[in-house]
Amino acid sequence: MDMVAGRVWADERRPIRHVDWFLLLLTGALVVVGLFLLYSATASTLRGESLDPFVRVKKQAITAILGFVIVLVITTFDYRFFKVYAGFIYLATLAALVLVKVPGIGATDTTGTAQRWFVVAGFQITPSEVAKLSVIVMLAAVLSELRTPEPTLSDVVKVLAVAAVPLVLVFLQPDIGTSIALAAIVVGMLVVAGTRLKHLLMLTAAGLILIFLTFQLGVIKDFQRERLTAFLDRTNAPQDARYNLDQSLIAVGSGGLTGVGYLKGTQTNLDYVPEQHTDFIFTVAGEEFGFVGAMFVLLLYALILWRAIRIATLSKDPFGTLVAAGIASMFAIQMFVNIGMVIGIMPITGIPLPFLSYGGSSILVSFTAVGMLESIHMRRFS
Amino acid sequence: MDKMSSRIKVLALLVALMFVALSTRLWFLQVLATTQFQQEARDNSVRFVYTEPLRGLMYDDRGRPLVENQESLEVRVNRDAMGSQAEAVVYRLAHLLNVPVRRLVARLQTNKYYSFQPIPVAEFVQPQVRNYIAEYQDLFPGVDVVPTSVRAYPQGRTAAHIFGYVSPIFASEYDRLKDKGYVQSDVIGHSGLEQVYERFLRGSQGVQKFIVNSDGETIRALGVKDPTAGDDLHLTLDLRIQRAAERELADELARARSGHDINGLPLKANAGAVIVMDAQTGAIKAMASLPSYDPRWLVQGLTKSQASYLYKSAAAPSLNRAMQLGYVPGSTFKPITALAALKEGFATLGGYYPCDATYTHPGDTSGTVFHNWTTANLGTMSLAKAISISCDTVFDRFGSDFYFRYVQNQLSDNGLLLQNDLRGFGFGAPTGIDLPSEGSGLVPDPAWAKTQPTLFPDGWVPGGDILTMIGSTYVMATPLQLAQAYSAIANGGHLCRPHVVDQVVAPDGAVVKHADDHCSRTLPYTPSELAYVRGALGSVITSGTAQCSFSGFPTSQVWVGGKTGTAERPPHQDTSWFAAMAGENPNAPKYVVIAMVEQGGFGAEAAAPIARHVIEDIYHLPNNHQGGCAVGDR
Repeated sequence: MDMVAGRVWADERRPIRHVDWFLLLLTGALVVVGLFLLYSATASTLRGESLDPFVRVKKQAITAILGFVIVLVITTFDYRFFKVYAGFIYLATLAALVLVKVPGIGATDTTGTAQRWFVVAGFQITPSEVAKLSVIVMLAAVLSELRTPEPTLSDVVKVLAVAAVPLVLVFLQPDIGTSIALAAIVVGMLVVAGTRLKHLLMLTAAGLILIFLTFQLGVIKDFQRERLTAFLDRTNAPQDARYNLDQSLIAVGSGGLTGVGYLKGTQTNLDYVPEQHTDFIFTVAGEEFGFVGAMFVLLLYALILWRAIRIATLSKDPFGTLVAAGIASMFAIQMFVNIGMVIGIMPITGIPLPFLSYGGSSILVSFTAVGMLESIHMRRFS
Repeated sequence: MDKMSSRIKVLALLVALMFVALSTRLWFLQVLATTQFQQEARDNSVRFVYTEPLRGLMYDDRGRPLVENQESLEVRVNRDAMGSQAEAVVYRLAHLLNVPVRRLVARLQTNKYYSFQPIPVAEFVQPQVRNYIAEYQDLFPGVDVVPTSVRAYPQGRTAAHIFGYVSPIFASEYDRLKDKGYVQSDVIGHSGLEQVYERFLRGSQGVQKFIVNSDGETIRALGVKDPTAGDDLHLTLDLRIQRAAERELADELARARSGHDINGLPLKANAGAVIVMDAQTGAIKAMASLPSYDPRWLVQGLTKSQASYLYKSAAAPSLNRAMQLGYVPGSTFKPITALAALKEGFATLGGYYPCDATYTHPGDTSGTVFHNWTTANLGTMSLAKAISISCDTVFDRFGSDFYFRYVQNQLSDNGLLLQNDLRGFGFGAPTGIDLPSEGSGLVPDPAWAKTQPTLFPDGWVPGGDILTMIGSTYVMATPLQLAQAYSAIANGGHLCRPHVVDQVVAPDGAVVKHADDHCSRTLPYTPSELAYVRGALGSVITSGTAQCSFSGFPTSQVWVGGKTGTAERPPHQDTSWFAAMAGENPNAPKYVVIAMVEQGGFGAEAAAPIARHVIEDIYHLPNNHQGGCAVGDR
C-alpha cells in the first residue's frame, strides 16, 4: 500500500471537506428574503405605535445568527450520536410536553386558549416545535434497527405507538398545525423505510376514520372547526374565520404577476391581514412581489427540499437516510400547509413557514434541522 | 437500502405534487383572477375612531388639586348621517338647544372635520337634552350626545396665568404638528404650563381601526389601542401662598387707587404682579398677575365680551406680568449694581461716598445734572446706608467709574463691566422658567444705544451707565429676573433657574421628569459682600425707606430685608416696586418676594405693603398694618 496515497484518501474523507455549501446558501437566502418581508409586514404598525420599526427585524436577524451558530455546533457532532441518545431525547420531549400544561410552569398566550410554551429568561421555548425533531430522531432510530428488510405490521404499529404519544400531547395543547406536521413526518418516514403499500393504505384509512371521529366526538373545539373548514366553504363560514382567509386571498391575489412593489402593499401596510408577520408572512411576498416573487420563494423551498432529499440518498447508513427524509417531510408539510392556508387550499392552522415566519422557536428548530442535514452530508464517507 | 432509495423517489414525487398544487393555485389567484382581487383590495378601507385620553392633572406642592378634568355632555352632529333631513334636523336641534340656527350652521360649516366625523356643536348640555334626543332619535339622525372630558379648575381663577389653557389647535400649529398625531379637531395647550408641558399632559389617543367595505359598512374591528392618560404635573406652587399673593395684590391695587401721585392725580394702579420664590432652590411658590381672567370662561366657550376683554382690551388680562413683561426696575436695582461696583473695586465695604443733592459726570460740559430724590445734601455715607436710604448720587458716581472703564477698554470685553455683571445676574435674557413667552428685559449697552439714534445721537454716553446704576430710564427687568437676582443674594451667590414644575408623574406613578439641579451657576461675589448687602437690605426695613411700611413687623421672629423702588415711566405714573427676602435665618433667608404695581406710586406706598402682607401670610403672622406710607425715594 502506498502510504501517501492512503493518507490523501483519508484526508479527502474528512467531514469538513464535504459541507453542503449550496444548502447553507439557500438557507441564508431564505432568511434574508424573510427579513425583508418581515420589515414590510411590521414597520408601519410599529411606527404607528411610535416604536422602532426595525425592532422585530432586528430580533429575527439575531435569532437567525444564533441559528447559524447552532448549525456550526451541530455539524461538529456526528449525527449518529442522535441515534445513541434518541430514547433520552424522546423521553425528555414527552416530559416537556406534559410539563408545559402544568399551570404555573407553562405560559398561556394572551387569549388564554392555548398553553404551549415555557418562558425561560425572557425567551419562549415551544416544546411542540422541538417535538418534531425528537420524533424524527426516535423514529429513525427505531426504523433503522429493523431485522427485516421492510417493516412488518407489528413494526408499523410500534412506530405508530411511539409517534402517537407526542402527537396526542401536541394535539391537546391544542396545536393542530404541529399535529399535522408530526403525522406527515411519520407517513414520510414510513414511506421511505419501505412500508408495504397495503400497510400504508390501512394507515390512511385508519387516519381518515380518526379525523372523522375527532370532529364527531367534539374533541375539536368549535372555534377550531370553523377555522379548519372555512377554506372549504367561504360563504358560509363565520365572519371572523372568513376574514383571515378573505384578506389573505385579497393580498395575494391583488399582487398580480409582478406585485404592487416593496412596501407599497395596502393589504400589508394597513394591517388587513392578521398574524401577518407570523403565519401569514407569505402574503407579503404575494402582494408586493406578485406571482414572480411567490414563485421565487417556492423555488428556494424546492431547492432546499431537493438538497434534503439528495442527502437522504447520499447517507451512508439507514439512520441518516431516515433522519434526512423526516426533515424533508417536515419542511415540505410546513411549507405546503402554511402557503396552502394562505392561498385557500388548506385549512387555517397555526403552522409557521420555515425560516420566514417571525418566531424564535420555529427558526431555531429549522436551523437545527439544517445542521443535522449538514452533519449527515459531511459524514457520508466516514 | 435499495428499497429505501426507490422509496425516497416516492417521497420526492409527493413533494413535487405539493409544489404543483401551490403553483397552480398561485397562477389562478395572481394571474387569472387578479383583477377581482385588486378591486376587492381597493374596496377595503380603514376607518379610525379615536378615543381622547384624559389630560394630565396639576397639583400644588402638597398634592392639592389645581387643574382637573370634568365631564361635559357634548352634542355632536354627523353631517353624512343627517342625509336629506339636514335642514330640518339643524332647525330642530337649534330649537332644542335654544341657540340661533345660524350659529349652529356656522359651527357645522368647518373644514376641520371629515364629512363622516361628528362635529361638536354644543357643550355642557343638560341631561334632559340627551334624553330627549335619545327618545326621538328618528327626528335627529346623525345627532349624538356624548360625554367628553374638559378642564376643571377647582381653585377658580387662582393662578390662571400659570396653568394656561387648552383650546382648539390653530391651523398653523396643525401644519407643524400633524406628524405627531394631532388632528384638526384636537385641542392643545395654549399659554402657561398647558403649553410648555403639552407633550406630557396630552397622553396618547386610543384608536380603534375598523375595516369598512365600499358601502361604508363595518366589516370588522381591527386592533384596539386604549388611550393612555397624560402625565400629571406636581407644581412647586403652594396654593395657600398663591392665594395670599393674589389676595394681597388685589387688595392693595384697590387701596392704592384711593391714593394720589405727586401731581395730585389719583393713582391708576391698574396692574401688578407678585412673585414668591424659594431663594434656595428657585422653586416658585406663588406667582400672581393682575388683571387676570377666569380659565373657566375658555371651558364654557368665550362669550363675545369675554373674548374681546381677553384678547383685545388694553388691560391685557392674559399677560403674565410677573414674567412676560420687562419694567424699569428703579431702585430695586441698587443692591445688584452695588455688588457690581464692589466686585470691580469702585466701592469697598469700608468706604464712604458723598450723597449730594445733584451729580454731574466729571468733565461733562453738556449741562446734564442727575438729581437725588431729595434736594438736601446728606453728606458722606457707607454703601449700606446709600442702599438703605436709596441715595441716587452715590450710585451715579459708580456709573461714571464704569463709564470711564468703558472708554479705556472700548475694544475689549472689559469695557462692558457693568453690563456683564448684570447679565451674570440673569438680566437681559430669559431666566429659562418653564413658562412660555418669557420677557428678556433690557440691559442697555453701546450696541443697543446704536439702535436708538434718537435717544443716543452721540452713541454711548456716561448717562447710560449712570442711569443703569440706579435702575432708571432704559434698563428693564421682569419681576421674575429680579426674583432670581435677589435669590442669588439671599442664598450666597447661586443663580437658581426659576421653575414651577417639580415633578412630572406618569399615570402609573413613575416619575417621568424631575426638577434637576437648578442652582448650578455660582456668581463671583464673596460671602462677605453678599452678607453686607443683605445687612443693608435689613436696614431698609428697620431704618430705611421701608421703615414706615414695615413698622410693627416682628423682625425678631422673621428677618426681612428688602428694597423699595419707584420707577419713573412718563407719561404714566410711577411703577411701585418692592423686592424682599424673608426667613427665620437672616444669613440664608428662605423666600424672596417681589411685588410690583403699575402706576402705583412710591415703592413704599403700594408694593412694600403687598410684600409685607404676603410675608405675614407665609409665616402666619397677623396683618396689622394700615399702609399708606407715601415716603421714600423718587
